Order: sequence, then structure tokens, then C-alpha cells
Amino acid sequence: MHLRSILSKRNFMALVVLALLGLVGFWVITIPKPLSEADLPQHVPDVANGERMYNVGGCHSCHVPGPELTGVDAALPAGGTALKTPVGVLYPPNLTPDPETGLGLWTDVQFINAMQKGISHRGEHLIPAFPYTSYAHMRVEDVLDIKAYLATLAPVKNAAKAHEVFALPIVRRGLGLWKIVGFDETKWLADPAQTAGWNRGSYLVNGPGHCNECHTPRNLFMASDTSKFLAGGPHPEGKGKVPSLRGLVERARYKDVKDLVSAFQFGEAMGYDKMSSGGMGRVQANLAKLPETDVLAIAEYLTSLK
Amino acid sequence: MKSRLAIALVLGAMTLGAGVALAGPADDAIKGRQGCMKANGGAMGVFVPMVKGEKPYDAAAVATAIGKMEAACAGWAQWWGADTKAGETLKTRAKPEIWSDTAGFEAAGGAYGSGFAAVKTSTDEASFKAAFGKLGASCGGCHEKFRGPEQQ
Repeated sequence: MHLRSILSKRNFMALVVLALLGLVGFWVITIPKPLSEADLPQHVPDVANGERMYNVGGCHSCHVPGPELTGVDAALPAGGTALKTPVGVLYPPNLTPDPETGLGLWTDVQFINAMQKGISHRGEHLIPAFPYTSYAHMRVEDVLDIKAYLATLAPVKNAAKAHEVFALPIVRRGLGLWKIVGFDETKWLADPAQTAGWNRGSYLVNGPGHCNECHTPRNLFMASDTSKFLAGGPHPEGKGKVPSLRGLVERARYKDVKDLVSAFQFGEAMGYDKMSSGGMGRVQANLAKLPETDVLAIAEYLTSLK
Repeated sequence: MKSRLAIALVLGAMTLGAGVALAGPADDAIKGRQGCMKANGGAMGVFVPMVKGEKPYDAAAVATAIGKMEAACAGWAQWWGADTKAGETLKTRAKPEIWSDTAGFEAAGGAYGSGFAAVKTSTDEASFKAAFGKLGASCGGCHEKFRGPEQQ
């Protein structure tokens, strides 16, 4: 008798209405909200700075040409190498200026939306394996400079393969919910109590460098656990760990700031054997391309974390 | 009474023992690999200050370090069998790619071998430094692909 009254026509209609409201609510709060052209500052791009930011970000590490791209300069970010992640196998796209398969026809605002809002040029949420969660903290000008640098590279024709993710369109839409808890869009702010070098290091580490994406563990919602900032955690590929970046000198990982600078500049070629495995080898190779002042700034900031 | 206690103790020890894995051949290979890597690390500690110019070039010290590497790594060829992917009790950072990409692993090992030979046959500071470049590059060349992240 109870069951019948619960399933009465009236209640059933109410449930349908609630479910529809839920769906509409989900739809509304997950709508991507990109920037428009008017939101961008006037800016004359600085290609050299763009190249520097590109190397701090290590863009090439993930957008490296796939194995089938024979005859393509391996130093170009033509994309296509499989990236194994907890949600499936992703194929990072082509960043060269090819008009059909690369970024050749992208506008500035499309680029900023991808890099800093996590919204693709088709208006969908991007999977945060692409670390827009860190790039969001960057100065817009630095991001525009990366675009200007990418435009100077040789175009490669390479359409990225589709990501192998179960129910990808629903996952993408659902990321709108994830962004509410997992995406902090605040811009990086200088700490006036610290030196210029420390602040530069803080910017490079937390903005373009996106060290936090692997060196800070994630919570239940797959968002960075800020209470364990850069304190290390499980390796994203499953086995082993990503080491903590706190207390690098105190734990005798490096002798001092100078030693850490040397490690970034030479890596394991000079015996720094903690800089090669787990993906760090490629990071180090990119950091070695930076001017010494930037490497020193990164080391100054990191060694200040106790 | 006493003998009963003894039997109980023996039985108890056996049950405990059954739950604990025993060291075996894979452990021996892993121990060999790790001993070799440790000696290599020690040798880097001798070579790098000379390359950086923090210490003067010392041919005798180079020869001693090379000798230690040679002694610790003598069993190299026997340490990479397919049954050594995991130890019986020891943990290893060796990645499965060592056994799935044998050509790549052998090439990386070859680079290490020729870098080692170059340092061993170097005769003066200039030839030592040039040779060290090859040896040093071979470490990361292998560890990027074939050594896993640090362990928990």
C-alpha cells in the first residue's frame, strides 16, 4: 500500500520534474564561460620571452612528436605521443603553426581560453592533464608570448588522434563541475616581503612551471591538496612516488642553492641522479635551456620551502 | 612439558616463516645491479669535481674509481634475466620496458659501456673530460626510459 502511494502518478511526475531540473541545473552550471577578445590587453608579443616560458612549461615534453611521425624534427611540438593518465590514454595535440592540424589559425583569445580557462577552441572543457590549472596563474602577456613563439616554429601536418577516454563528451561536460572545486583561477601575486629572485622563482614554479601538478598530491576530488603543497605524492603513472620539493637542503637532497642550480643545468650528466627518472629528465632538459638567473630564482624559491 | 613448549615454538616459527618470502636468484641479481649502481655513483663523486674544476685532475684517483666500478659491475650480463623483473624480497626500480624494448635497453647499456671504456683509456685531463661527457650522458640516457620513479 505504501509502495503504491509512493509510485502514484503524482509523485512519479514530481520525480520526473526533479530529474529534469537536475539535468538543467547540471547543464547550466557546467556551461563553459570563455573570455572574449575584449578581455585581452593590448600587447606587443616578445618571442624570446615566449620561448623562455615555453621551456619553463616544458610544453614539448608532452607534445613531443608521436612515433609514427618519422622524418619530423623531434624538437618540434607536433604532438601525437600517447600520454597515459588515470582517465585514459590522451594524445596531446599539434602545437606547430600548421593551419589545418596545428595552431596556425588560432586567435589570441582561443589560445588564452585554452591555456588559462581550460576551454578548447570548440568551446568544450579541456581535460586538466593539460595543466591550465597552473597556466591560469600566469600573466596574460606571458601566455600571448608563448603563442607568438609557437608561430615561429616550422609547421608540421599531424592531426592528433582522438583521446581514448570512456564517454568523453560526458566527461568533458562533467569537468565543468570539477572546475568548481578543482580549478583555482586566481592570478599569481608577488610577496613584497620576499626578494625579487624568490618572487621570480615563485612565479615560474607556480605558473608556467606547473611543478605543483605532480609534486602536490591530489585529494578525493582530484584537486591539488593545498595542505600538502609540493610535499610529494604518488606518481601519476601509478608506480612509485613523486618526491617532495620541501626541505630539499635539510633532507640532503641537494647541498645548497648552488647545487640545485647545477642539478637543473646539468642533470644526471653531472651525477644528479634524482633528476632523470619518472619524467623529470625531460623537465630538467627544458630547464637547462633557461638563463641562469631564472634557474637561480627557481632554486632560491624551492629551497625556501621547509 | 618442556618438549611440548619446544614443539609449539618450532611450529609457531614455521607458520611465521611460511608467510615470509625468502631471498632468491632475482634478489641476487637485483643486489648485484644495485651494488654496481652504487659504485658508479661513488665514481661520479670522484669524477664530477674534476670535470667542474673544483678539484685538480688526478689520474690515479680516476683509475681507482674505474677499478671499483669494474669490480662491482662484473656480473652485469647475468643480472637482467626476464625472471629479475621483481625481487623475491627486494624492491627494484627496473621498468618493464627493459624487457619489452630489449633493443633500446641494449643500446643504452652499450652507450654506458663505451663511455666507461673511454674514461678507462683516457690518458690526460682533456681526454678524460671528453670521455666523461659520454659516460655522464649515458646515465640519464638509460634512467629516463628504463628506471622507474623513486619508491614509496
